[in-house]
Amino acid sequence: MSQAVVSVNAVVLLPVLAPAVGAAVVLVADVAAQHLRRAHYVVALVSLVVGALATFAGLGVAAGDARQTLCLSGGVQCMYSADAVASALQLAALLAAAVTLLLSWPDDKKESSGATAVIVSLVLAATAGATAVAGARDLGSWLVALELATLPTVALVALRGARSAISGAVALLTTALVSFGLLALAAALWFTATTSGFLTPAAALTVVADPSRRPILVLAVVLVVAGIGFKLSLVPFHAWTPEAYDGAPLPIAAFLAGVSKIAALAALLVVIRAVAPLGAPVLTSVALVAAASMTLGNVMALRQDGVVRLLAWSTVAQAGWVVLPLATVSAAAVNASSAYLLAYVLATLLAFAVVAALVQTRGTARARELAGYSGLFRDHPVLAAALGLALLSLAGLPPGVLGLVAKVAALRPVVASELWLLAVVAAVNAVLGVAVYLRWLRAVLASPDAPPDAAPDGAAPVAARAVRAHPATLVAVGFAAVALVLTSLSPQLVLGLLGF
Amino acid sequence: MVILLIAALAVPALTGTALIVGGRDSSTSSEGNANLVALAASIATAALVVATVIARPVMDRPWLPALGVKWQFSVDGISAPLLLLTAALGIAVVVHARSYPPHGGSSTTFYGCLQLVEFGALATFLSRDAVVFFLSFEVVLIPMWMLISRYGDSHDLAARSDASGRFVLYTVLGSTLMLVGILTLVQASGTANLDDLAKAHGAGLERPTQIIIAALLLVGLGIKIPLWPLHTWLPPAHTIAPTAGSVLLAAVLLKMGTYGVVRLVIAPLPIGFGALAPVFGALGVVGILWGGLACLVENDLKRLIAYSSVAHMGFVVLGLSSGTTVGLQAALFANVAHGVVSALLFFLVGGLKERWGSADLATARAALREVSPRLGLAAVVGFAASLGLPGLVGFWGEFLAMYAAWSPAPDRPQGLMRVLAVVAVTGTAVAAGYSLRVLRLIWSGDRTSPAHADAHGGEWSVLAVLVAAVLVLGVAPGLVLNTTIKDVASITAEVSR
Repeated sequence: MSQAVVSVNAVVLLPVLAPAVGAAVVLVADVAAQHLRRAHYVVALVSLVVGALATFAGLGVAAGDARQTLCLSGGVQCMYSADAVASALQLAALLAAAVTLLLSWPDDKKESSGATAVIVSLVLAATAGATAVAGARDLGSWLVALELATLPTVALVALRGARSAISGAVALLTTALVSFGLLALAAALWFTATTSGFLTPAAALTVVADPSRRPILVLAVVLVVAGIGFKLSLVPFHAWTPEAYDGAPLPIAAFLAGVSKIAALAALLVVIRAVAPLGAPVLTSVALVAAASMTLGNVMALRQDGVVRLLAWSTVAQAGWVVLPLATVSAAAVNASSAYLLAYVLATLLAFAVVAALVQTRGTARARELAGYSGLFRDHPVLAAALGLALLSLAGLPPGVLGLVAKVAALRPVVASELWLLAVVAAVNAVLGVAVYLRWLRAVLASPDAPPDAAPDGAAPVAARAVRAHPATLVAVGFAAVALVLTSLSPQLVLGLLGF
Repeated sequence: MVILLIAALAVPALTGTALIVGGRDSSTSSEGNANLVALAASIATAALVVATVIARPVMDRPWLPALGVKWQFSVDGISAPLLLLTAALGIAVVVHARSYPPHGGSSTTFYGCLQLVEFGALATFLSRDAVVFFLSFEVVLIPMWMLISRYGDSHDLAARSDASGRFVLYTVLGSTLMLVGILTLVQASGTANLDDLAKAHGAGLERPTQIIIAALLLVGLGIKIPLWPLHTWLPPAHTIAPTAGSVLLAAVLLKMGTYGVVRLVIAPLPIGFGALAPVFGALGVVGILWGGLACLVENDLKRLIAYSSVAHMGFVVLGLSSGTTVGLQAALFANVAHGVVSALLFFLVGGLKERWGSADLATARAALREVSPRLGLAAVVGFAASLGLPGLVGFWGEFLAMYAAWSPAPDRPQGLMRVLAVVAVTGTAVAAGYSLRVLRLIWSGDRTSPAHADAHGGEWSVLAVLVAAVLVLGVAPGLVLNTTIKDVASITAEVSR
């Protein structure tokens, strides 16, 4: 009886395996029965829920402990390790993917595009990549999982076929390739510096013995920050974001803003946590990138008149907040960064879900333009309240307490490390952010005094009211809204997930 | 007894949320219903606040263990007068709105916002955890923004959105800087409990650290107070806001700034505040003169009262910067006094603006003395208190603040503080000038046209109660001073060490 070289525990891997198996099942089912549409979505949702339930085992583990598998014989080094933070990010990715699927649920009244199975399986594959990268602890699976999380999104953006979609997809693809190149180089440098294929503190600490290898490791980390900066939409690697968001179908834009960002941060955290014991000075580059992202993202978001582009630039600004705590070296910084990401993803998904519901009820033209939102509070009070909560959460103002607590958590490590300049830049950006989101909220609350096209459009409001949003979209809105309300009442629900 | 405290916060919070989320019907019947609900809620809140102030319960529950944030609420002598003021004005704005229903949106949302502002203010004054203090500070922003941007002066939409936006952005900048300061303070001293911070009186914090933290906090809170030159958001906000919004803004929200200075700066950072106090006091005195001079030429009555607020808060700042028990007492009394007087004046002017159609002083109006003696009485008492007439509530705070500045704490530069005191005295002369100017324009004379109705019902009862408060607290300032003295003395005892 010889022991296997690598031990595999499928239960531990379930958060990754469930969406991957789901993707395979969907493709096989599509071959067997070509006209299935809703069944694909049901399969996908079930696999996502199974994966989400499986993460709970990892959420409960004590600090410093983790659920590991794919261990080399001897069990010292494992290629997969999910602690509380990784499990929380996996859970968020799986739930965000579920919301995305609900938003793209097929409408019986419309003709099928014929690509349902492809869309569903691509979403599941990218989600599997996101959950895998959170647990990956070796260079190979880390790189592959990160690309698995990225490449399907290119296809998802392009599938709509419109001109803007193609240009968005091209921007995304170019970015993905550059980013992959940087990351591959970073992986090679990491191996050179540490002579280890593992992304662990133990591996990073080997450079302490040989100071001449330290610059190589620093360069590797800088390249990782740059490569992942593309995926997180950090300035100066952000340029693809507005184009891809605007060109993609709305649910896919939500996917890019949610699952893709979780995957990117999870990948970054794997490396950051590995080098944390070194007290790496490279992290000052994170500070610069964070400050630039916040400022540029907010300033550009202030100038947008389309809501999807506004959300895209808001992503750039929020990405700055996400990496802000990582400018310091501490366990609290990793937790704060993850907490901020979860708050951002939840609020952004809710905003996207409301926009999707409004596209169905008020038409694309009105729902995608800021000006089209006037009178929303009067016409659709519940949707307006949900949108208001999402925007205030992104702005970090009560009643969006979750967003505010996330900002407090993100600022804490910065202040503790006495990075005054960065703290003041962040404070100014909190103000700019409020201006961005209140601009939208003001439109929501405004009463349409004199609609310019009132006369010819006289019958439209009646007809518009008759159109109801798709139930699946409303479920997505409801799910995200309830989650945001609960976590705003008790932000500890989010902080606790991360084993804070 | 903790249940009283929780209920005092929960009633306005839940009522406010329910009114905003629940009702949107803008028919007249729902108008009355919303008012009744809000009235019942604010009376219940006031009763609970009074009970809380008497029973002095202490609440201490974990909330965010990850960040070390706790639900710590309690009452002491410093916060008690402000809590009572907030609760009383919470009723007053609802009663006054019976005479002047809101326009510009649904009345349920209007009353909901009022309740949420009251909730935020009460939570700010009750909280003993620095981070919860910050969160409560932020709670009032969005409701107040909605009050200004939706229910404000309907003449000029662009001005409305400008005023409300300016209010929010200035305040958020202030509170975020304050947050940075709070986090640094908590990090450096290892506790977020305001009482522990006060007891430690800066032990273990180096002088440079104290100065940095105090500077961050003073700039942040200075925007809220508002301290010259950070006051530029206040006049437009007051000019545009509906009466209830102006009253809550002047009488309650501005107090959160000075209250924060006492809690977060003076008590925990005596050395840092001592170093910055001369600058702080000088800016306050500039505000006294600046506000007063602006009032001499300002022709919009609401804007004029806003500028007078800048001047009055300057006296509070001067008292705070003196570093003595008398100075702190003066500041806390002037806080309450300004709360009562500015509420009276904004209620009065809000009513006049409705009657006149504008608040422009250049237009000839019927003299209040001739056509509406009740409004005339309120105007005389209000502006007399505003100029600091002895025997009225405005006198004590300003007199004591100047006295404290003349004989400041030993570590303050005495010469400079005396100069500040002298300049502040000229500020009171300016205050007399503008108050009498306004009274001459609106109260005296013998014009009787265009005639307007006198105050009655809800409006008159609110004005009468506030007039009575101006007189009672003016004759018996000990009602407030005796409440605060014990806790103030404990702070200054630490400071003067």
